[in-house]
Amino acid sequence: MPINVTKYLWKIYTEFTTRIYDIPPRMLGFLSFIILAAIPLMLDPAKLDFLIIANIFAIFAASWDLLVGRTGQISLGHAIFYAIGAYSTALLYIYFKWPLWLTIPLSLLVGAISAFVIGLPCLRVKGPYLALLTFALPFSVKGFIYYYSDIFGGDAGIPPIPDKLYEFFPMLSGDQKVIANYYLSLGLMAISAIILYKIATSKTGLTFISILDDELASKACGINVTKYKLMAFIISGMFGSLAGTVYAHMIQHRVDPLFLDVTYSVYPIIATIIGGIGTIYGPIVGAYIYCFLDRYLFQYIIPCISIPLGDHSISIPLGDKDVRMLLFAAIVVFLIIKWPRGIARTIVEKLEDLEEPREIEEIEKEKKLQI
Amino acid sequence: MPLLEVKNLTKSFGGLIAVNNVSFSVDEGEIVGIIGPNGAGKTTLYNLITGYLKPDSGKIIFKGEDITGLSPNKIANKGLVRTFQIVRPFRHLPTIANILVSLNSPRGRKKIEWIKTPERKAMDMLEDVGLSDLMLEPAENLSHGDLKRLEIARAMALEPDLLLLDEPFGGLNPVETEYMVKTIQRIHLDGHTLVIVEHKLQALMKLVKRVLVMHYGEIIAEGKPEEIAQNKKVIEVYLGKAI
Amino acid sequence: MWEYILIQGAISGIIYALIAIGFALVYGISGISNLAQGAYFMIGPFLYGVLKETLPDYLPNLSSNAILVLALILSCVITAIIGSAFYRITLHPLLGQEVNILIVSICVCIIFQQLILIIVEPGKTFMFNIGELLPGKLSIGNVEVLKGKLLAAFVSILFFITLAIVIKGTRIGKAMRALSEDIEAAMLMGVNVERIFMLISGIAAFLASLSGIFYVTTTTYNVSVWMWLQGLAWAFTVVVLGGLKSLKGAFVGGLIFGYAEIIIKKVLPQGGLIIQSFPFIITILVLLIRPKGIFGKRIEME
Repeated sequence: MPINVTKYLWKIYTEFTTRIYDIPPRMLGFLSFIILAAIPLMLDPAKLDFLIIANIFAIFAASWDLLVGRTGQISLGHAIFYAIGAYSTALLYIYFKWPLWLTIPLSLLVGAISAFVIGLPCLRVKGPYLALLTFALPFSVKGFIYYYSDIFGGDAGIPPIPDKLYEFFPMLSGDQKVIANYYLSLGLMAISAIILYKIATSKTGLTFISILDDELASKACGINVTKYKLMAFIISGMFGSLAGTVYAHMIQHRVDPLFLDVTYSVYPIIATIIGGIGTIYGPIVGAYIYCFLDRYLFQYIIPCISIPLGDHSISIPLGDKDVRMLLFAAIVVFLIIKWPRGIARTIVEKLEDLEEPREIEEIEKEKKLQI
Repeated sequence: MPLLEVKNLTKSFGGLIAVNNVSFSVDEGEIVGIIGPNGAGKTTLYNLITGYLKPDSGKIIFKGEDITGLSPNKIANKGLVRTFQIVRPFRHLPTIANILVSLNSPRGRKKIEWIKTPERKAMDMLEDVGLSDLMLEPAENLSHGDLKRLEIARAMALEPDLLLLDEPFGGLNPVETEYMVKTIQRIHLDGHTLVIVEHKLQALMKLVKRVLVMHYGEIIAEGKPEEIAQNKKVIEVYLGKAI
Repeated sequence: MWEYILIQGAISGIIYALIAIGFALVYGISGISNLAQGAYFMIGPFLYGVLKETLPDYLPNLSSNAILVLALILSCVITAIIGSAFYRITLHPLLGQEVNILIVSICVCIIFQQLILIIVEPGKTFMFNIGELLPGKLSIGNVEVLKGKLLAAFVSILFFITLAIVIKGTRIGKAMRALSEDIEAAMLMGVNVERIFMLISGIAAFLASLSGIFYVTTTTYNVSVWMWLQGLAWAFTVVVLGGLKSLKGAFVGGLIFGYAEIIIKKVLPQGGLIIQSFPFIITILVLLIRPKGIFGKRIEME
């Protein structure tokens, strides 16, 4: 009996401290999860909504990062997956009256299939071609949606999706629903993060990076680059749709063409650049930072700018929304030029410098112990 | 039956004929060199054989199978592997991971002996080329000589039937060159067939048993190293007609 | 009807070509895919609108026509300066990093969009009409065409020809062509890369803003902060059609696009909405059938 316990403790220990291919200690991730889970105990529920959005955006940003940061396929139109997720779950519910536990997974499937369809032409193109192709996509689909207003609801979008997430728990008060939403979104984010982490540390993840680094060399190694690029597209599309689906049900309760706006394509970019592109934790941390700044900082800091110009001083009253998007875009530009690794990644790398890399021999030894 | 047969391969870009009706064959176990001045079409030839370019006309037959027009990764998976003249490591990955990418291809996965894990196999390959200490180092930190050796290890991880080396001695100092000669000799003794494009004639002539000389996209001479070294046409091509 | 299509298609096609040529110029010479071209497409008209209204206060003596022309020229020049400055500040440090350049230029589009939203009072509409510049119609065959539109087309073609002459004939043009072939070799030959890139960014911005002003005065008669999306989508589609680095291709592609658009508008009911999807559909078709575009890769002149 005692031997089994030590084996499991050892397994947990190595699970959290093993470093493979430069991914930082998972202990950090686990600790942050604990902290995040404890937040509702500290904060009053009314303030939780930006954290819920943060979780959703984290999933969205992570899906973008998989495509861009890991396989180098730049997507400037990721909003399309967000919208596909939201619209498909809403449509399935409104028109077919299928229950939520069916429409949500189905919308993921729709996301995966659309990613496949979208990915196919995208595979043939690179760099600016791909960027502009993905950029033009949501914009073009918007026209399509307005054309078929009778199905898609045009501007107003699909009629509000009833808040069915907790229909089996009618006793929950408004506040408690918010907390439940928070934990649900946190759970989904954690699961997404773990799945993406497993993919990133697998041989497939390795192949993704090889495609990012040098496609031609990857082909020379026998890798079917097209297959892997498509795979990345599908996974990215699935998680992007997940984000849109969750948002439609938890927050909006309504789905409209706003989801196809270029701003939704830019949100994951902002989050990922702030956090650190090409990592798992980067987009997640970046999403949190973005939502925090969005909610608290910018609102209070810049109500109005006065530029004194002799006689006539120009006073530019700055509305809420305008400043924030402007500032975020400016931050992204600044970060890319001066600090391309992102904030979270720089911190993590500083931490890694303190830790010593362990030989693969030792890692193998530990692995054998677990058998 | 020869391992590789190149028949009447032609490729032109715009008005420029890069490879002009080239034909040759390589038998199993051979070690063949291809030399020629810059711009002779050697790398284009490699690109055609390994699927990076589609020929205008001609055929490439490998192990009896017509591989003309196949994609580079399919060709690599059939056992025809190449290295690049300018090294192409996977910069963000540690050295050992570079090898693991090869081992993750369909051919790589087939060939791993069932006792060894891919990591173990990769470590062995690194040992073969002397890069064991740099195992966990990101490839971008490696020196040029190390990267050349990594190219070879990465190609060898696919256990090729035919290995096409593109200027393996490029940029190497005398010590590294000697080491590379030994490595290539060992690969050949292990039973692999090799074709080597190279400019450093001293190193090459020591290694190979047969030499093809290319000039302006054509093969202008073929024979044993000693013969080629005496061949008037070849000398003219390299040194100019003044002599 | 066909003559109508012939002429109107040519005119809108030329305007599309104008913005596309800017993009192709920058990409062909510097390898930079500057998505901010869309933003310049939007900034030009806004500046024009603002200047149109404020200039008379400062120069009360000029005739209204002169004011308009001055506003036109000034707004394009200012946009050109913005274009050069933007290149120098943000894109130059990022030379060679394609992904980052793409992200940065999209963000700049958003920055400009937000700036305009902030600076211009909400709900303010500008009234644009090419008829202000040159009123009246002209009859070509059976078709009556606005003189203003013809003027726009004419001016655009003038610029194309000037650009072709500059690139083929002048020393700077030679430097540009050298850069489009091989940046390092050109640097070794003493070409001042930074200055030339700033110059072409400015030229591209100038052309984009001109295109925007012409578009707005002939078609929508108003500006919107979302204009840059359209501008970008069109520039891209035209350039893909014509071949990413080819100036000749941008011109021809623009014409094709202009004709296609007008034919669709006439043929399909409510075609206006489908037009939005157009760039994407055409792009996909081109990419599937002939990815190089009509005129292939290297930068080519008239």
